[in-house]
Amino acid sequence: MSLPVTAWRSVLPHLGYDLPPDLTPTTTSGPVATGLPLELVRQSVSSKEWWDIPEPVAEQYRRYRPAPLWRARAFEAAIDAKVPVYVKYEGGNISGSHKVNTALAQAYYYKRAGIKEVVTGTGAGQWGTALAAACAAFGLSCVVFMVGGSLRDKPYRGSLMRLLGATVHASPSGLTEVGRGNAASANTLALAIGEAVEYAREGEGRAFCIGSGENYSILHQSVIGLEAAAQLDEIDARIDTVIGSVGAGSNFGGVALPFLARHRAGETAEQPTLLAVESTATPKLTRGVYAYDWTDATGTGPMEAMYSIGSSYAIPASHSAGLRFHGAAKLLSAMRHHGEIEATAVGQREALEAGRRFALSELVLPAPESGHALAAAAAVATGADAHHRSRHGVLVCVSGHGLLDLSAYDQLLAGQVQDLAADDRAVELATARLRPVGSDLPTGVR
Amino acid sequence: MTTAQNRHDEVNEAVKRLVVLESRLSIPPSEVADDEPLNGNVLRVNSLGFLGMLVRLEDELDVTLPDDLFAGTVFTTVADLVGVVLRAVEVPR
Repeated sequence: MSLPVTAWRSVLPHLGYDLPPDLTPTTTSGPVATGLPLELVRQSVSSKEWWDIPEPVAEQYRRYRPAPLWRARAFEAAIDAKVPVYVKYEGGNISGSHKVNTALAQAYYYKRAGIKEVVTGTGAGQWGTALAAACAAFGLSCVVFMVGGSLRDKPYRGSLMRLLGATVHASPSGLTEVGRGNAASANTLALAIGEAVEYAREGEGRAFCIGSGENYSILHQSVIGLEAAAQLDEIDARIDTVIGSVGAGSNFGGVALPFLARHRAGETAEQPTLLAVESTATPKLTRGVYAYDWTDATGTGPMEAMYSIGSSYAIPASHSAGLRFHGAAKLLSAMRHHGEIEATAVGQREALEAGRRFALSELVLPAPESGHALAAAAAVATGADAHHRSRHGVLVCVSGHGLLDLSAYDQLLAGQVQDLAADDRAVELATARLRPVGSDLPTGVR
Repeated sequence: MTTAQNRHDEVNEAVKRLVVLESRLSIPPSEVADDEPLNGNVLRVNSLGFLGMLVRLEDELDVTLPDDLFAGTVFTTVADLVGVVLRAVEVPR
């Protein structure tokens, strides 16, 4: 089957401003090494708009793409929608989520760059599963450090990754210095990532591979929005609002930014509202600050300009592990700062309830993360959202399936789901020392 | 002067200009020695800035650096980087 999309589309040339540069510590000296395949760097910084999808990646995409798009009439009826609701479904692949769209691309580029083994950290396991699948596709070894508590709660994620050939370590693993020395941050994604970075650094032919949020990752995810736009055109459907959930932002960026690019390029008359939906437990876009912050709590990566509730903020456990990230991707953060992205926050009970209604009506079980997007879509489509109105229709990305999240739905049915709004005082403390973007650089970084 | 020497000088100058810029220094690029460490007392090129610099070098010199630059390559001095770029320039791709 031919794909309707043969190239990824970057929004960078349509922004009209540069993203604030990342900051890194100046304290270390010594040899420098490239930490990323050059093509991924080019994709992150270049003003080139269209990037041909390499044929080996396209060949893998053809296994599950085009991903379905449909008008969710039964869901519309269930929520009494005033406008059409179109769904773009990204759960129909072995990883069960959109993350495989970039995992395949990244694995391809790492392989081409001569890497033999890719190492990563994963929270709930979606990213680890996607990367394991991508490594299987391209003949790479894959090592995954998964948050130990998540691995115990979701053992089938580990099973799937192992089935795909990956080696899975519960973090803290005892294999790394950072794991042995940070008992206080056990059971966090930050520590799992820290372990993966250290493990990758110490082996020849290994590379650490990060998940969502980087510009190149959002570029690869543009296949979602480009494909959706073509599918909507094909059925003469009109939408004015594009909605997706935000952990770091790759599925939202993927579905939404191509619509902005289309408008800026003069291909469409109207600019749709791009509505990012986050969890009330991690409300970076609605209650965070635009500041330089670490991408993880161990300070492994650079400091990036992001909307953040603070990398030191203790995020409570929730059923939407994919949204448990303190910051938004730097690209989306800059666009939010420039007023190009709207945002709203949804509690997990409302999200799971939306997921239940969607399953009942459309017979597709969404991941709890996607339930957030569906709850927001329902609020917009019914007019319940006073801030975001739709006159013609909404497009919502259901980024993954919820078949490995049934315990969350069990708890919903049993009336045991608690909402977890972020604590104002804790957010204030976690962001107090962050340097707002645009102010003088903090000492010790450049 | 030969074409090869011209190309060497062009690459050498571009690399030095960019490492000075990346290190946020205001010294003439010609003052940077070939064996100057990229990340030492004078130049302060870290891994992250290095990556962006490689892409800028590609643009400036209209070359494509090789994919396998990534695997196991460690750059210590300015000359290391000049050498890699020169090889990319010389090998038709």
